[in-house]
Amino acid sequence: MFNLGKHGKIVCSAPPAISFGGAHEIHEWPIASSRDKEIIISLLEVIIEGSGEHHEFLRQRAALMADEMLENALYCAPRDMNGNQVYAKGEKRILPPGEKIVFRAAFDGERLFLEVSDSWGKLSPETVKNYIELNLVHDSSTDRAGRGLFFMWKFMKDFYVNVVPGLKTSVGGFLLLEPESCEYGAI
Amino acid sequence: MEQKFRIEIQNGGSSDTIHFHGNIDSHADYLFAALPGRISKDSLVFDFSKTGRINSMGIALLLRSLKSLKSGKSVDIRIQGASQVNAMLFKMTGIYLMAPEARRE
Repeated sequence: MFNLGKHGKIVCSAPPAISFGGAHEIHEWPIASSRDKEIIISLLEVIIEGSGEHHEFLRQRAALMADEMLENALYCAPRDMNGNQVYAKGEKRILPPGEKIVFRAAFDGERLFLEVSDSWGKLSPETVKNYIELNLVHDSSTDRAGRGLFFMWKFMKDFYVNVVPGLKTSVGGFLLLEPESCEYGAI
Repeated sequence: MEQKFRIEIQNGGSSDTIHFHGNIDSHADYLFAALPGRISKDSLVFDFSKTGRINSMGIALLLRSLKSLKSGKSVDIRIQGASQVNAMLFKMTGIYLMAPEARRE
């Protein structure tokens, strides 16, 4: 497994604890079709219990992260024999038997843990690193690859990618209710 | 409940205000493609106070639209009403470089 430091350096590390940092309840939602994305985002907003400015800001970030994570799992992970994307973004799709996407979340009152797994295992550490480097350039290029991954890396603390080649890719990290610095979503 | 995306143009004196309602993602593509044809003024305000999520595809559509309006029609564009998260995305992706925040009155 590898993490990416805030300057884009690949850091090898042990897989994250399955307990999601000791959160008392882990929510796990299997995805059956692209329509499930909005349902999961609504459920995610509900598990962030609490009111006020910080909770609302966390809900906004959580919704964006879930959107990017599920878009990547639904449309970027599936690849043909030549490595080309199989499905276009926005296309309605139902997962065929054998393809599996699972979204997991847990909130401990201070941290919201998020993880998505797909059954493709096609993402390489070099690809993620290249995407992040590409998006670190401060200009306003329009069609830039990997922008969703860049947002995840920028917003989530301890962002990680865990790949079992050809079998499974897991992407995750956590959002803080009260981010400490601009690196993790504070203004 | 997810709100269907729509673009509303409010005519003003010296500038028009473009209101973006709902989430901006890949489904907003055709509405952004048609936007330059609906613009007649050379000064615009993009208002995001009724906007929900803007994902990476939505950011790409916004950047494309801003470039098209600024280079093709030399339109001056300002932004107002962005949520905390959307304002962060605008900073991260260079949108504010092309269309700065409108001055609050």
